[in-house]
Amino acid sequence: METKPSSTFPSTFVDQLVVPGDVILDLSSMANQTLKLGGGLRQDGDSISVMKSGTLRFTKPNKYWVESSHKRYVPSVGDNVLGVVVDTKPDNFLVDIKGPALAFLPVLAFEGGTRRNIPKFEVGTLLYVRVVNANTGMNPELSCMDANGKAGEYGVLKEGYMFESSTGLSRTLLSSPPYPTLEALGKKLSFEIAVGINGRFWVNASQSSTVILVGNAILKSESLSVVQQKIYLEKLLKSIQ
Amino acid sequence: MIAAVYGPKAGTRKNENPEKACIEVIWKPKTGQSGKSEREYEMTLQSICLLNVHPNTTTSIVIQVVNDDGALLPCAINAACAALVDAGTPLKHLAVAICCCMAENGQILLDPSKIEEQKVKAFVYLVFLNSIVSILPEGGKSMEHGILTSVTHGVMAVDDYFSCLKLGRPAASELSDFIRNCFKSKAGNDPSKAA
Repeated sequence: METKPSSTFPSTFVDQLVVPGDVILDLSSMANQTLKLGGGLRQDGDSISVMKSGTLRFTKPNKYWVESSHKRYVPSVGDNVLGVVVDTKPDNFLVDIKGPALAFLPVLAFEGGTRRNIPKFEVGTLLYVRVVNANTGMNPELSCMDANGKAGEYGVLKEGYMFESSTGLSRTLLSSPPYPTLEALGKKLSFEIAVGINGRFWVNASQSSTVILVGNAILKSESLSVVQQKIYLEKLLKSIQ
Repeated sequence: MIAAVYGPKAGTRKNENPEKACIEVIWKPKTGQSGKSEREYEMTLQSICLLNVHPNTTTSIVIQVVNDDGALLPCAINAACAALVDAGTPLKHLAVAICCCMAENGQILLDPSKIEEQKVKAFVYLVFLNSIVSILPEGGKSMEHGILTSVTHGVMAVDDYFSCLKLGRPAASELSDFIRNCFKSKAGNDPSKAA
């Protein structure tokens, strides 16, 4: 195994595959620098080592993180997720967001919410919410308002169908420039889509055949390269006309 | 051998320490039931997982034996490790397991099959830490020599044991290179990379 002598900044492993246990930075030779560590990395005394396998990413000036795709989600503050109501309590709704613990959605966390107009959600309702608090060891907290207190797009998602995917696919669906599959489908069909970064997305359209088509196309395109996606979509869209 | 990782799920089992995560290993042999051997697997896997990232949760690892062709424990450890990485469980390192056995003529065989395993007088399962790609010039060495677990069956001399260890280390580093390449080819299907 090659070992790179003398630490360099930025790390020499950026944009490469790293595996748990790899040491990517040596802090003893870098003085007076603040680093921001994202997901997948931890500080082990004087060195930064990898916890999850994936690709190491770096943005200037000082942010490092490991990019990986999994079926479970690790809650972090500011994420927009799709949750399913599991239980109702007097103060909170218990919502499942595919993480290690159930999340709490306070009953008053809605625009114009007071004790008199508490929304009634049944078990199994699908919600588009924002993560407000995600400390380890505590249940995450959610909110149906954005940072300014407006409802925005958050709330109940009616009709349509929810699909489960990996977190990596969710991130690529939300990236810009837009995902090629979404672009191509959007040119021919009209549908509504909501993507949660926790590995869930919801599709709604006037006909259920469109919903099934869009959902399956997105799920299948995860394993195809860009060129293969174009070919697959052309065939698909031709066959429905 | 099929390994599946479920979790982290809320709650620890049997009131164990709620400050740490709990790892549970369920071993399903091809026929019949299993007893205390799963405790060994549990302890090995517990030592490579980081236990304080998700406190008060349980991660279950289910290992199903499909075909037994010798060297069952190393196969199970390698499969469980790959499953943990795929699931994104925070790990300190990867564990790489191999099996060495002593044949009658004094030779050491690596990775025996079931028939060979039954014929030899002693064999040993070794689990090493994987070799890491590191920025530190010297720091990587002390880690590579760590043994996680060693299980022996049968009778062997002390010298034979040490020579098994010596042979086992390069074998383990080759295995860890192989595992690293497997992850690379799997990550290569990422659509963001293809664009």
